Amino acid sequence: MRKIFNLALGVVTSIGGFVEAGSISTSVQAGAEFRFSLLWAVAAATLILAALTEMAGRAAAVGKRSMAAAVRERFGFHFQMVPLGAELVIDLLLLTAELGGAAIAVKLLTGVGFQWWVLPLAMIAWLLLWFGSFSVIEDGVGLLGVVTLSFVVAVWRLHPDPGPIVQGFVPSLPGQDLVRYAFLAISIVGATVSPYLLNFYSSGTIEEKLTQEDLWINRLTAFLGMGFGGVVSIGCLVTAAIVFGPHHVKVETYEQAAQMFVPVYGRWGVALFALSLGVGCFGAAVEIALNAGYTFGQAFGWTWGIDKKRRDVSRFVAAFTVVLLLAAAIATTGLDPLMITQISVALTVVIMPLVVLPFLVIMNEAEHVGAHTSGPVGNGLLAVLTILGALMALVVIPLEILGG
Amino acid sequence: MEVMKEVLDKEVVDRDGREMGRVDGILLDYQTGQPPRLKALLIGPTALGDRLHPRLGGFVRALEKRFGLDRDRPAQIDFAEIKDFEHKVRLRIRIGETAVEAVEQRLRALWLRLPGSR
Repeated sequence: MRKIFNLALGVVTSIGGFVEAGSISTSVQAGAEFRFSLLWAVAAATLILAALTEMAGRAAAVGKRSMAAAVRERFGFHFQMVPLGAELVIDLLLLTAELGGAAIAVKLLTGVGFQWWVLPLAMIAWLLLWFGSFSVIEDGVGLLGVVTLSFVVAVWRLHPDPGPIVQGFVPSLPGQDLVRYAFLAISIVGATVSPYLLNFYSSGTIEEKLTQEDLWINRLTAFLGMGFGGVVSIGCLVTAAIVFGPHHVKVETYEQAAQMFVPVYGRWGVALFALSLGVGCFGAAVEIALNAGYTFGQAFGWTWGIDKKRRDVSRFVAAFTVVLLLAAAIATTGLDPLMITQISVALTVVIMPLVVLPFLVIMNEAEHVGAHTSGPVGNGLLAVLTILGALMALVVIPLEILGG
Repeated sequence: MEVMKEVLDKEVVDRDGREMGRVDGILLDYQTGQPPRLKALLIGPTALGDRLHPRLGGFVRALEKRFGLDRDRPAQIDFAEIKDFEHKVRLRIRIGETAVEAVEQRLRALWLRLPGSR
């Protein structure tokens, strides 16, 4: 019974953890500019993420090592510096974007400039990390994240014709703006398959002491949780497509994006959007900061864990504190959070092979995962997809910058 | 040399199972006319820095010196102190006999001033 409860909780918290600055902004832009035709990208990205998180959890449950630890032991420190460095840069950018997104959400509710909210929000995030346990952080933030279901409810209230929506799940090429279309498809993948999620998920498996007997829980949580998370992103895209699509609006700020809830929820629309954005971004900010502590701790062999006494994990605490401070300092300068989000999600796809390929090698070795290695078909497919995605990103990002 | 590959970057625990870090470097003993002999394990960011580039190692060393954390660091652990190295490198000594915890202790003093650290 307890396991069923944990499973349900895991699924609910995944929904909360899925939706954040990247997934909201890319879904809104895709819906507004290309109506339903990028839905396939959300679905594909969700499947890739679910497959990868399932592997990350399986490796941690069987091998008792998180991703960062396994990569250092398997490939050595020289090699590890490359994915580690790339991931930390992306995590810092993304954390800045999430803090900025949460601050914009408070601005939407209060009218006071977003820069003023960055430091207080970072402080609340730090206090949560300082005083909270893993379950308080994971479940608390995750349960609040249920508010993001408002994106799904919005679709239901708008009564769209299901035909074109279903068609959107079949990949197709647009009649115009091919570069922008490809750029948004890549951004959707980057926003969904965040590298921090993989190490966070594997660390969480160790924090929650899952073992080989619990692999079915891991599998169900990964696929159901990420699946439902994907449904929220789809809800966001479809709502934006119905509200903004006919007017050919190009959404360039969160303030503009918030307007998509007005035809659905009336005068509560902006507030509800702000709540969904704020909770999603804040939750992600807490997880990214915590993951910075995990990554440093595991790569360098420090004692780590959010359920340990803080005095026993001093370097781990210092790591998440410094990363949070750095991101808050950057966000306070007033750089546009949406722009930082766009940069970080696009770059994520470029660095993806560096993070995913070593991980796939580990998933093939009995030394790390015992008899629970991944099949060659799934591994091969994931490897090809990440390499193709990165190559495409390397072509499309410069074109988008030149054109935009 | 196979042993070197085997232990490098592995997690190190002391005789009581306490985490000591990872094998950040290995000290070799060269005697003319003889094959190199494994002398000690190194644990600490300076050893890690040296592995990437001597300049980086020098920078970390200067940083440790600046904060008065350079005594007996990086920790040198004689190969004879290794009990086994199957999953992790297990040592015969206690963590307190080395300086691997210097940074942790310095930061601990800082965090202990805040409520909720215990």
